[in-house]
Amino acid sequence: MKVNTDIGIKLENPFMLASGILDENGYTMERILNNGASSAVTKSIGMEERRGFDPPVIYHDENYVINAVGLSNPGIDNFGEEIKIALRSGKPVIGSIFGRDAEEFSLLARKMESYSVSAIELNLSCPHVKGYGMEVGSDPDLVSEIVSEVKSKVSIPVFSKLSPNTSDIVEEAKAAEKSDALVLINTIKAMKIDIYARKPVLSNVYGGLSGASIKPVGVRYVYEIKKELNKKIIGVGGIENVNDAIEYIMAGASAVQIGSAVYKYGIGIFNKLNNDLNEFFIKNNINDIEDIIGVALK
Amino acid sequence: MKHAYIIDNITEGKNVNTVVFSTDDEIKPGQFIMAWAPGINEIPLSFSYINKIKKITVKIYGEASEYIAHLKRGDYLYYSGPYGKPFTIVPGKKLLIGAGTGIAPLIPLIDDNTYGIISGKTADDIIFERYFNNRLKVVTDDGSYGMNGYVTTALKTLDLNEFDMLYVCGPEIMLKTVYDYIKNMDINAQFSLERSMKCGIGLCDSCSINGYQVCTDGPVFSIEQLKNMDEFGRTRLQYSGKRIYF
Repeated sequence: MKVNTDIGIKLENPFMLASGILDENGYTMERILNNGASSAVTKSIGMEERRGFDPPVIYHDENYVINAVGLSNPGIDNFGEEIKIALRSGKPVIGSIFGRDAEEFSLLARKMESYSVSAIELNLSCPHVKGYGMEVGSDPDLVSEIVSEVKSKVSIPVFSKLSPNTSDIVEEAKAAEKSDALVLINTIKAMKIDIYARKPVLSNVYGGLSGASIKPVGVRYVYEIKKELNKKIIGVGGIENVNDAIEYIMAGASAVQIGSAVYKYGIGIFNKLNNDLNEFFIKNNINDIEDIIGVALK
Repeated sequence: MKHAYIIDNITEGKNVNTVVFSTDDEIKPGQFIMAWAPGINEIPLSFSYINKIKKITVKIYGEASEYIAHLKRGDYLYYSGPYGKPFTIVPGKKLLIGAGTGIAPLIPLIDDNTYGIISGKTADDIIFERYFNNRLKVVTDDGSYGMNGYVTTALKTLDLNEFDMLYVCGPEIMLKTVYDYIKNMDINAQFSLERSMKCGIGLCDSCSINGYQVCTDGPVFSIEQLKNMDEFGRTRLQYSGKRIYF
């Protein structure tokens, strides 16, 4: 039975840790990689140390999480040590980066490469910080320039994480076509008002919606993009169990990322997903993950 | 987001207040809530009383703690939680060791076989003596109240082998001082940690220590757990995520 997969880098299983979840401290990434995750995508790192927003930065309910952490990060020059700690696991680490323009993205990508990450994930889609993420990602010319520029500066694979907060994600995906893989989807711009306090809960007012409630949206984007472009896709958004993961894989994802579900199930979710995937393959006579990637499109 | 009706507000000392409210939440000693000051900030706070009536003791150090410390009867406390792993309660003789308002979350552990140490920089930092019936050592850095010295000054006056469990709460440097003092003594102890906390639900990695989240895997860690954590008392992440040394 073959559950290892290839997204431009080889992964021993399809379950990756998503960017922004438990991936700021090298020790945490190391622990998660030692407990069933095949790779970890780091928190998005920028040029300078950045404090991010004041709390509340997260609101959660049974079926969703809304966050506006605000791209807090220690800055690229301070992040090498964390990656070094995470790499003691022997598993691949993927460096997520955010910048204002192609030049910043290229510089960040080269620094990440020098820290021995296995691939770069371009955060072209954070929905809640001015001048970054979604504001960059919704300009197809800029996306195309960033991807080309970064591709020309590093020798490791480059993934583009795209935003569902756009009128035409196909256009966005086409602009990022030179990437080795597309990561779909980032969070969906959202907010929460407390009806007793009569105020928005998040200090930034707007945040990004994740968790179980966005899974059908994510599956649709993976399916739609896989149909339009024959690119490797990494699926992310609301995956809480193996059935969710298989749905994404059948829609066209070669691997999936797990994020918000960690708040419900803890980091033990990775070992559970691996066990449940094996069981699903046995019960359904599947020998190779390749046989089900994008099978719903056929 | 939950909300609870404030019943009372008690001034405990200089810049320290206890807000009293009622909820049906079942709270265990050592657990905490994320208390929201709407439009201002959100901070983790633990309980100093946990029956049907709940109490939270707040030291004012910023805008959010000031807002919460000044909530009065009729106001609402907005919060999420309770969160975190509580203290494990063992039978026998207990020693509670708290630095300043760090004594507050230990108060619910008090029974008739409990002894205490409260440390502080100065006399103003010492609260909650009244709960200990004189079974208490007080120590201040400047000697303005109780013994003159540090938490270890008070520890040295006790035979720690008499105690079945030590419960310790305060800034991490103080916890590390206690830990270093007892680590080779075969003494049972639990420590409640506080690190820069943002989400409270184990997602943001801000409060982590050696891969464990203080908000969900803690805040209470046993001495055995801490023996395997080389970040303890050595490094932590700042609010931005930058690693710093204590």
